[in-house]
Amino acid sequence: MIRCQNVTLGYGRDMVLENVTLEIPRGVFLPFIGPNGAGKTTLLRGILGLIKPLKGKIETPFQALPAGYVPQHKSVDPLFPLTVREIVAMGFYPRLGWWKKPRAQDKKLLEQALEELKLTPHAHKNYRDLSGGTKQKTLVARAFVSGADVFIMDEPTSELDETSEKEVFHHLAELVLKHQKTVLMAHHGLNQLIRSSATSEICLVNHGRVKKMKIQDFKGSPESLS
Amino acid sequence: MTGFFLALREMVKAFPTAMGAGILIAVCCSFLGTLVVLKRLVFIGATLSQTAACGIAAAFFYHLHPFLGAVVFNLAAVTLLALSTEEERVPRDAVMAMVFILTSSLSVLLVSKTAEGLDEVHSLLYGDLIITSSADLHVLLWVLVPLTVLVLLFFRPLLYTFVDRDEAKILGIRVRFWELFFYYILGIVVSGASKVAGMLLVFCYLVIPAMTALMVSNRLRDAIAISILLAVFSTLFGFYFSYVHDFPTNQVIAVTSCLMLGVVLAGKRIFGSLASIFFSVSR
Repeated sequence: MIRCQNVTLGYGRDMVLENVTLEIPRGVFLPFIGPNGAGKTTLLRGILGLIKPLKGKIETPFQALPAGYVPQHKSVDPLFPLTVREIVAMGFYPRLGWWKKPRAQDKKLLEQALEELKLTPHAHKNYRDLSGGTKQKTLVARAFVSGADVFIMDEPTSELDETSEKEVFHHLAELVLKHQKTVLMAHHGLNQLIRSSATSEICLVNHGRVKKMKIQDFKGSPESLS
Repeated sequence: MTGFFLALREMVKAFPTAMGAGILIAVCCSFLGTLVVLKRLVFIGATLSQTAACGIAAAFFYHLHPFLGAVVFNLAAVTLLALSTEEERVPRDAVMAMVFILTSSLSVLLVSKTAEGLDEVHSLLYGDLIITSSADLHVLLWVLVPLTVLVLLFFRPLLYTFVDRDEAKILGIRVRFWELFFYYILGIVVSGASKVAGMLLVFCYLVIPAMTALMVSNRLRDAIAISILLAVFSTLFGFYFSYVHDFPTNQVIAVTSCLMLGVVLAGKRIFGSLASIFFSVSR
């Protein structure tokens, strides 16, 4: 369970979201819908603990098991000469810590994630030499292998073509339906893919406010929040 | 080639401490240098080298051990660096520039009031590996080796912190701690090395071999190995050339390192042009 109680989030003196109260139970697929600059990324970063709330309290289970995270902007420093395989293997850190080597089952999981996201031909390539879409899929694979219970994805398909986007949504739906994982995903609009995925609720983010609603009650635009 | 190895053998017999110190500094600084270059900390490397020189000048002034002066000054500089967080309006580079200007001027002022005078300034800036004492080598062994081993031991959290700070935080890595850990280790290593090799050569070891290695390698592990090999090679060649032709060793090492970088840069350019001509012709 993730719980936000009267949370105000922002940067310095600029408040982005005010008095957000939200409860997210385990095992749901919850898209955060809103226009650019509405505060979706800020809310997700607040839930992840990357920014501290200016007011209020956020309770998460991430102390015990870190979230699997796919950032909107590429957070990996492209100067470091690391392969796709090495970037994806970062997701093992909560299990391996400082010194442990990946076990056979970790290696199998890694290969499986690469295979499912069609990254196997790129596995030995340098991350910095990849296209935007392949970089994004690499970060999705890193989140998948982390063994997290909660996946937080900030527009994870913004640079993917239609086929790859469908594949990613398929995996996300599987995580929720088969493995009872929680998926929180920021998206600028409510497209057919989100409508057809494993979700019954959405979270509208706009004008500094956040509102959870049934997907059928959504009137078609985030403006319906006001 | 045989002459090169024979001369090196003679040098090992004649200057065992100097060669030991040179190779030790080359290995440790070029290893740390790979992270310095990748993390875009080159200016911090230059500032720490300069701050160490200033600390050594202050130690001369107060009749203290030079290493102590260098460490105190560098730890103070690193603490200042740590306090200037990225969220502040003054960028970290600007703070480092201030420290660089202050310590550059202060070291000249301090040395001008010591008995040694300008010769000492020269020694501080350029150093002289050949006159390394066995006491210096002991300090290097006790400081550089354990600290470099520490970085190797904790390479994974350090690397993840540098590669992807947000993800590292989410994975439970204490990114601020590991950043400080690296900065303090870098500060102490630079302090120890600067007393023996001088700030210019230490700065050279931190930057040039790593830059050259990163130009030729696409893998981090390979880049680190190549960086170390290049630093050791330029050190051995520096000793050989300065011994045979009577040149100052430190400068020969620095020039050799830069020449190797120049050759690699030129080689890449020429190879790139030839490849593009070949492909355009074959179409």
